[in-house]
Amino acid sequence: MMRLLNICVIVALVLAAADVYKIKFESTRQAQRVTKLRMEIRREHDAIATLRAEWAKLDNPARIQSLTRRHLPLKPVEARQIDKLDNLPERPADVVPVDEPDPIGTMIANPEVLDRQPTGSVPAAKR
Amino acid sequence: MNAPVADQPATPRDPPRDPWRRRLVNTLLYGRNVDRAVKARARIGLAILIFTIGYSIIATRLVLFAALPDSHGARRAMGPDAVATARPDVLDRNGEILATDVRTPSLFAEPHRIIDVDEASELLTAVMTDVDAGELRERLASKRRFVWLKREITPKQREQIHRLGLPGVGFLPENKRIYPNGSEVSHIIGHVNIDNQGIAGIEKWLDTRGLADLHLAGLATDRQQKPIELAVDLRVQHAMRDELIAARAQFKAVAAAGVLTDVRTGEVISMVSVPDYDPNNPREALDPTRINRLTTGVYEMGSTFKALTLAMALDSGKITLKSSFDARGGLTYGKFTIHDYHAQNRVLSVPEIFTYSSNVGTARMALSLGIEYHKSFLKKMGQLDRLRTELPESAEPLVPKRWGELNTVTIAFGHGIAVAPLQAVSAIGALMNGGRLIPPTFLKRSEQEAAALAKQVVKPETSEKMRYLMRLNVEKGTASRADVKGYYVGGKTGTSEKVVGGRYSKTKVLTSFTAVLPADQPRYLLLIMLDEPQPTADTHGYATSGWNAVPVGGAVIARIAPLLGIEPRFELPASEKLILASAGGR
Repeated sequence: MMRLLNICVIVALVLAAADVYKIKFESTRQAQRVTKLRMEIRREHDAIATLRAEWAKLDNPARIQSLTRRHLPLKPVEARQIDKLDNLPERPADVVPVDEPDPIGTMIANPEVLDRQPTGSVPAAKR
Repeated sequence: MNAPVADQPATPRDPPRDPWRRRLVNTLLYGRNVDRAVKARARIGLAILIFTIGYSIIATRLVLFAALPDSHGARRAMGPDAVATARPDVLDRNGEILATDVRTPSLFAEPHRIIDVDEASELLTAVMTDVDAGELRERLASKRRFVWLKREITPKQREQIHRLGLPGVGFLPENKRIYPNGSEVSHIIGHVNIDNQGIAGIEKWLDTRGLADLHLAGLATDRQQKPIELAVDLRVQHAMRDELIAARAQFKAVAAAGVLTDVRTGEVISMVSVPDYDPNNPREALDPTRINRLTTGVYEMGSTFKALTLAMALDSGKITLKSSFDARGGLTYGKFTIHDYHAQNRVLSVPEIFTYSSNVGTARMALSLGIEYHKSFLKKMGQLDRLRTELPESAEPLVPKRWGELNTVTIAFGHGIAVAPLQAVSAIGALMNGGRLIPPTFLKRSEQEAAALAKQVVKPETSEKMRYLMRLNVEKGTASRADVKGYYVGGKTGTSEKVVGGRYSKTKVLTSFTAVLPADQPRYLLLIMLDEPQPTADTHGYATSGWNAVPVGGAVIARIAPLLGIEPRFELPASEKLILASAGGR
């Protein structure tokens, strides 16, 4: 009876030791992974910071201005070019009433109604 | 009596006999007559003691580990990390980056680990051509345990040095402060030293706000700090700087400066003082001509100060827009005679005094109210004390020690008192925004926050009258060249003679232009200042404000108003109808 208990305890001890070892090993591995990920995150942060700094440098108004002067015919906005939406004239009435089908659309949809007579360019007369 | 029991096997004196062979072994092993049971008990006691001590040590260590979390890990993580402080990013009001940290490697050496100093210095100078060979060799041969060889090397150099495989030479990543916009915002943002500590501008302000302590504690190494949002608008700043550089070249001025503030919040949207410097190259900042003239310099603001005098007069209630003052001839005071630049030689009404910029009229106006009243008004407007903002650089105004009538006479038109231009701007801002004096700030601020800080210094009606006068001055007066159509600009010019060798110079002047836009619903206040502009062919030989600072101001307004989102309105009536009518027509 006693011996059986002893054996059980020893087996339990071995199992527990193995489990603890496994947990410890796993935790070390996880800790390493965390360190590695942290480092990666930091590196990414640094890369983002560098890129943002570079972007800001390229986006600098003085640089944009010199590029614009060299390559584009743009000029600064004048007050006259700005207006309110209220000052826009009313939208003109549609040429084709809303409920009628679009005439050009109809022609494309039914090519047979199209007049086959060529228009526009006329073939040059033979000499 | 019973006979004793014959067999007494339990008595200790008589243990059961072991077989003789075992007795022989025991005798050989432990000696004769040794009680092993007693010994065993003692041994067990000893074992219990040892184990107890062992386990209690383990338990204590466990508690210690739990109580002081991760002290080793933290130290290990910090080892190869940045030496220079990480600083928070600085953004403009639209989120554009003004200053940021970039990680760069720095090269160091541990001289005691270097085998061949000559070889090492030769190889290193081959890679880093800009390093002084003699100094490098000296450093490598020194007895110290750690020397910097070069701070902030390029990734390419790092790679090459790494390939050299020199023992005792290594890299540390450091934070380097980068200002992507170069000189654009130099005076506002300031700069840092090689250890990333702020030594000027907002950067220094950041340090005084506890960043330096964080750094000392070794905590400011990560970039997880909240970015700082400034009030400055990078686009406006650029437009202003561009125009001022052009103006400085055109008028051959010593310096040109401009500041734009939001009169409702006190935010400084733009502040430029050219010549400026590149914060990426802080050595330029040492040049005294590159100081920030708007906060670090004090100037006699000239006629710009008349706005304050007139506001004082109108606010007193004793003088109205209908009042008039004698501006005939000069105003003789002791041995001094005050003249008008645009002399009219007649009795002028209050609006005329403003638009003709009459020194005599303004002086008489101030005198009629008395010295003490004048002094206390300027004190209330914050003109007699040093203006404190976030920027560490600030200058004390030069105020006369003994304030007599002559001082009041000259100060009424802006001579005899020298203030920082930003100070004057904040006071005039208070005259425009309904009479609330708001301390200027370089940080983003909401209208609620500004309202909490604001101090009512003049009546709202006075403010409306002042806006009318400012607008009138653009419609009919000295500032007509700044009338940018659509923005309803109001403004006041100022030309002050500079003191050269103790006397006022006729040729060296400081011209300024203060503009409010739009004058009927004030949003922004602009100050343009030119230091010693020269007369040119275009200005017909004049060097007064109306010929240089005012057109520059007009150009700046035309350029920045669309950026600021001010709605252009063209069908606005003249100031008399629009502003004065609402002010009650007085």
